[in-house]
This record gives sequence, structure tokens and C-alpha cells, in this order.
Amino acid sequence: MTSFIIRRLIQTGIVITLLSFFCYLLMTLMPGDPVDLMISANPNITSEDIERLRALYGLDQPVLVRYWNWVSTILSGDLGYSRTYRVPVQELMGPRLINTFILSAAALLVSILIALPLGILAALKKGTRLDYSINMFAFTGISIPSFWLAIVLIIVFAIWIPLFPASGTRTVGVDLSFGELLFDRIRYLVLPVLSLSLMSIGTFVRFTRSAMIEAMANDYIRTARAKGLSWPRIIVIHGFRNALIPLITILALSFSGLFSGAIITETVFSYQGVGSLVYESIISNDFNVAMVAFMISVSMVLIFNLLADILYGVADPRISYS
Amino acid sequence: MDEKQKQKYLEAQPMWKIVASQFAEHRMAVVGLIVILFFLSISAFAPIISAITGLDPDEQNVFNRYQPAFSTVATSSINRELAVERMLANGKDYTALIDAAIAQNVLEYPTTREDVLYDMATAVAPEVLLDELASFPQVEGLNDFIAVVGGFQKFHLLGTDELGRDVLIRLVYGTRVSITVGLMVAFAAAFIGLIIGSLAGYYGGYLDATLMRLTDALISLPILVVLIVVSAIDLGNIIGGTPLSFIVGSDYESIFKMVFILCLFSWMQVARLVRGSILSIKEQEFIMAAKTLGARDSMIILTHVVPNVIAPLLVAVTLGIGNSILFEAALSFLGLGIQPPTPSWGNMLFNAQEMVQHAPMLAILPGLLILATVISFNFVGDGLQDAIDPKSIRR
Repeated sequence: MTSFIIRRLIQTGIVITLLSFFCYLLMTLMPGDPVDLMISANPNITSEDIERLRALYGLDQPVLVRYWNWVSTILSGDLGYSRTYRVPVQELMGPRLINTFILSAAALLVSILIALPLGILAALKKGTRLDYSINMFAFTGISIPSFWLAIVLIIVFAIWIPLFPASGTRTVGVDLSFGELLFDRIRYLVLPVLSLSLMSIGTFVRFTRSAMIEAMANDYIRTARAKGLSWPRIIVIHGFRNALIPLITILALSFSGLFSGAIITETVFSYQGVGSLVYESIISNDFNVAMVAFMISVSMVLIFNLLADILYGVADPRISYS
Repeated sequence: MDEKQKQKYLEAQPMWKIVASQFAEHRMAVVGLIVILFFLSISAFAPIISAITGLDPDEQNVFNRYQPAFSTVATSSINRELAVERMLANGKDYTALIDAAIAQNVLEYPTTREDVLYDMATAVAPEVLLDELASFPQVEGLNDFIAVVGGFQKFHLLGTDELGRDVLIRLVYGTRVSITVGLMVAFAAAFIGLIIGSLAGYYGGYLDATLMRLTDALISLPILVVLIVVSAIDLGNIIGGTPLSFIVGSDYESIFKMVFILCLFSWMQVARLVRGSILSIKEQEFIMAAKTLGARDSMIILTHVVPNVIAPLLVAVTLGIGNSILFEAALSFLGLGIQPPTPSWGNMLFNAQEMVQHAPMLAILPGLLILATVISFNFVGDGLQDAIDPKSIRR
């Protein structure tokens, strides 16, 4: 077990390192480096100044050297300076990370709370009209474009029936007590969470249904019924617990999807999270922010994948990691 | 059971017939297939639809922006002048018509002889002008002019967008772009996945380990985050100087870029699937027999292994088309995918989101089409999976 975790940690480390280099390379392929922007902002700049600026920012060196310099500054704890926000990247990152975490966790919680009962219900009523409707709902959830859903939610619940704010993270410029602040945050979260969770609801329902059908077909379910156990007890203790194993992987892997989805959701709702930061920084050529935000999102997803593999072993002791 | 029916049951059915009859039982999959065929024919016939309705996806009309559905508006004066110019350039003699126009004196202000048709076309509303033209004497070329003026009235079934372009015809062309991208990406990705998967599965060892680590690494990434970073690159930096460099700067640049980028990150599922099937097929006797008979590796892969993985591959490709359409739409929606003026469902949504309050239909329609297409592909994929899986075949 320990050697498995260590091996996976090393693998994850290698992937993150390779990816950071790959991403660095891509950023240099992007049109417009910092000096290009200064040139376009200041027409009076001389060619000597350009040379000097390029040397100052290290842009005259080969990519590998620049990458190495960047890695060493990052590892020394200096994440650089944001060009658009005019603050160090560290200061920018903290609150954004918390916001994204709140959004993803809420979306995950909502999707589990809705999807598991629906999936179990569909499995128990397999082949009925209820099963078909739940399946139809799940298919819609998987296929619906989340950005479109976000816009439709805004049109319906912020414009036609103004129940929730259309965009933002919280009301700015007012002093709120803790309770009011909580309520305010939740009001701003409702629409983003709805649009983000529908897709994972679809995936979860389908997986819960098939895992549950498989679990309920086992002989021990018949034994449990023959012993005269109550139906709810059979479903929860004997059926659902065994259906849980494949579900754990899907749940952990869905973080990847949630993070991807969060980019779109955060952008449409102007929610101040890491996802919208990745997008904004790439659009505005804010190199330092883009690299750090990208690396953080990817690392988070990879770490959750690792967690999924470990949890898998905890849930099912039969799985060996040798 | 009569003799005929008995005969029917005894007869061996070909595989495709079994699959087709299984597929037909999945009602939603059949509906999905019909929807897909409908969209495919719309995208194939887009230029014909454009010619019949006389609508152009790029024709702007800034005085008639955000018109509601079922509205009829006059085209902009620039487009009217262009239409008159096209008519005058067709080689016929219009002196009689011009004389008649001057004699009738429709315009309130004096105009030069060569400009009279242009001024009439732009100064007077099309329906008023049509009334005036009805009282003209029957001179040569009058019917041409009436036809041209009649074309000034454009009927917009779904209204107009933020630049006064017709929404319906843009949706039609958007269908063409989105479905083309989806098909190209899914097939190219299947091809890449097939090669990588069969290499890894057939040869095993270090090659397998390396390729599968790469696949696992790519599969675990948050694809959209990576796609956003990748789509910010400049295509010219990559294919500039190669035979493909003619694409750079053409209308199709963003479409090619989209296909290229999406291909890079959508072959992994297929590769895994193919590798898995090959690992199990590899151990079977008929492969051993082929080897003993001295068949080359390429021969064994192509004639014995590939036909056995085609069925699951087909399912993966179908589901892949839906996903690719969704990713293309997402990137275009963020302004990083298909670039205007080329319409795609995603960038139509991108343009519409600023004015959702004023014109919600502009945002709702493209999304509905994306939803309909993607859900259809998902249903067809699901139906195919059921139909192909030998365990679920009922006879």
C-alpha cells in the first residue's frame, strides 16, 4: 500500500512537471509577450530600450533557461506579479481558491444528494416508466451545454423572475453580520451550483443505476430476503454498500469534470474563482497568473485522482496494490 | 408456426441485420438517428437553402438589429445599391426603364440620369416603390427591376441578430460548421486512438507502458482547462512553412485549429478501449494460428484484430462526436474557438450573452440545437452499445 502511494505520488509529480514545461512552452507560442505589449502601449520606445527590456525580463534567452528560472522563482515561494491586477499572484490566488472550492464542493454535494436516490430508485424500478423518465433526465443532464444552461438560468431566475443575482460572488460595499453574509453568499451560489451540478447528476445517476442493478442481482441479496430482513435494510446495507465501490472512483474522477465546468460557470456568472482567473489571464496575456492558476487547477485534479485510487482500496479490501 | 415462419427462424441472419433489429427496439436511439440525419442534410444543403430563401449568413443590416421572429424588414441601402448594380451589369439595355423612371418623377428631388435607379431604390421604402412601379408603362427591363425591388423585403422567420443578420440562416450554417468539426474530430481521434491502442496492446512491454502512462496522464487532466490554454496559441507558429501553411489566414483557419486542438485531447478513450480488446483477442487461438502460418504483424493487426474491435470503436466514435461538438461549442462560447464571421452554435451564443435581457431567443436557440444534437448522438451511442453487445442480444 505504502509503496503504491509513493509510486503514484512520483508519477503524479512527473506529470505535473512535464505539464508545467509543456504549458510554459505554449505560453511562449502565444501571441504577444510582455515587451510586445509595452511596445504597442508606447510608440516612442527606441530599439535599444526594447533590447534592454528583453534582457531585463530574460526574453532573449532560450526557452529551457527561461523555464528553469521560472521554476526556481516559483519554488522559492515567489509566484510573481499580476500585470492586470497589479498585485502579487499570492494575494490574488488565496480568495479565488476558496471561492472555487466552495462552488465545487457545493455542486458535488448537491449532485450526490439528488443523484444517488434517483439512481437507486431507477435501479429498483428497472424497466418501468419511472426508470425511463429518470434515464431521460440523466441523458439530458449529460448532454446539456453547461454554458447554455447558465444563460437560461440567468434569463429565467434573474431577469424574468428576479429571485437570484445574475452574476458576482457576493454583495459588495455593504457591511454584513455573519448570518447575513452566509445568506448572501448562498443567494449568489444557487444559480452557479445548479448549472454546474446538472452534468454530474446525469453521470452519477447512470453509474448509480448500473452499479445498483449489478449489486442487487447477487445471490446474497436473495439470501438476505430469505432470512426475512426488512426491505430498506437490504437495499441500504446489502445492495447500496456494494454498489458504492465503482461509485467512489466516479465521484473522485468527477472533480476533473467539475473543475472543467467551473471555468465556464465562473466565467458566465462572473464568479471570482480560479477557473475564471485562468480564462481572464489567458485572454489578457497575464502570463504569471495564467501559469500559476493553470498549474493549481491541474494539480488539484491529479491529487483528487490519487485520492480516488487510495479510497478505492479502503472501500474494497479485496483490491491489492502489489 | 407455419412453414414460412419456420424457414425464417432457421435461416442464419447476418450480423448487421441482428444489430439493426436490436437497434430499432431502442426507441430513443431511433429518434436520435432521425434527428442526426435531419441535421446532416441541413448542413449538406446549407448553400441551397441560402440560395432559395435569398438570405446570406454574412449580410448585415445595422438599422434592423434584434428584430423579433416573423418580421419583415427592408435590406440596408448599401445592399440595395449592390443589387441594382448587379442588375445593371447583366448586359441588358435599361435605357427605356430609366427614361420611364425620369418621366414618372417618383423622386422629390432632382437626380442625374445614371443615378435615377439607385436613388429610387434607396430613397423610397420598397413597398411604396412597388406600388409606384405597378403604374409604370410596360417598358423593357421593368420586370427585372420589380424582381430586384421585391428582393429588398427580407422575411426573417427567427428574427435578426446583433448585426441585423438573419438568425435562421446563421443557425443553418452554424449547424454545418459544428457538425463538420464534430465528425472530423471524432474520426481523426478514432484513427489516432486505433494506432496507439493497437501498438500498445499488440507489442506490450515498454512501448505499452510508455503509451499507456501518456494516455492515463492525458485522461486525468481537466480537459477544458487545458483546451483553453492550448487554444490561445497561434496556429501560424506551428504549421507556418509546412505544406499546410495555406490554411493560415484563410476563412477556415479557426475551424482547422479547432479540429487540430480537439484531436490532441480526444483519442485517449479509444486508445484504452482498443488496447483492452487487443489484449484479450491476442491470447486467442486464431491469432496463434495466423502466427504459425507466418502472417506478418501488420497483417494480423489489420485482418484479425481490427475487425474484432470495430464494434466497440463505433460506439466510442458516436459518443465522441457529441463530446467534440460540446467542446467546440464551449470554446467558441468563450471566444477561443470558431472566429466570427464564420457562424457556429458556440460563437452565436457568445455574441448573444451580452443582450440576454433584450433578445433572449438569440441565446436560447443555438443552445437548443446543441442540446438536441448532443443528446441524439448520446442516445444513438447508447442504442448501438446495446445492439452490438452479444450478451444483450435477444432472438
